[in-house]
Amino acid sequence: MNDWVLPQIDLDRCDRCGLCVHHCPTQAVEMGGRGPFIARSLDCTYCTDCEAMCPQVAIICPFEIVWVEREVSR
Amino acid sequence: MISKADSLHAISVFAQLPSATLEDIARVAVPRAYETGQTIIFEGDPCTAAYFVARGHARVARVSAGGREQVLARLGPGQSFNTVPLFQEDGVNRATVRAVDEVRLYAIAKKDLIALLRTNPKLGLALLRDFADRLDHLTDLVEDLSLRTVRGRLARFLLEQAETGAVSPRLTQAEIAARLGTVREMIGRTLGDLADDNLIRMDRDRIVLLDRQGLEHEVHG
Repeated sequence: MNDWVLPQIDLDRCDRCGLCVHHCPTQAVEMGGRGPFIARSLDCTYCTDCEAMCPQVAIICPFEIVWVEREVSR
Repeated sequence: MISKADSLHAISVFAQLPSATLEDIARVAVPRAYETGQTIIFEGDPCTAAYFVARGHARVARVSAGGREQVLARLGPGQSFNTVPLFQEDGVNRATVRAVDEVRLYAIAKKDLIALLRTNPKLGLALLRDFADRLDHLTDLVEDLSLRTVRGRLARFLLEQAETGAVSPRLTQAEIAARLGTVREMIGRTLGDLADDNLIRMDRDRIVLLDRQGLEHEVHG
């Protein structure tokens, strides 16, 4: 599924504190060797909790804003 | 190859100026390039130059002592910044400006712009028109912050963003909060409220607007 958008993690900003891993309500995030990653992408609900928790602003969950009649364009 | 004067002509504040004046400006305008996320100027630093965006987008913001950010403007090609403190004695940059994407701009040193204004009254009038537009924008912003609820501001913002052309912007809730003078948690809660009232639908990474009339009522109501 190409349009299954996931939170974007900037590993250069990340200090590997692990808050995103602990707070993910679906346990979709894991800590890897270089930092956190979405280990179970289909479990991610894009709830934005990881973005809200990250003290380094290393995770972002951007939204597109569209009219209902245009949403079929993707 | 496009000359520097031609590229300056595309900048709105210079668009109506005669070619001789554009040539004068081109002699002192210094081209600069910035990468995504790079800071162009810092709030509080002495104002040394005015900037005119040729390509890309820049974000103008002020940060409170508590760390809360208020985005004042998002500038695109043809727009300018840091012209106001240029006219103040010992003026300092009034905001921090960062490159949203790759930015190409022209910087004109304070002393050079003042010298140009002394000999080019049309440039002075063009800058005054730019100041008038800016004053209008800030007056609207004050009205928004003081008279509208977060729900009303968010409804207006969503309507504006959904109309910005073929490519929809992608914004985080934190970015929306900074643009609307509130905090991220408030944006998350208000988006939920608008969704509960069937005005929008939260669809994974999309905010889908469902009811134009209802959202417009929130703006004016």
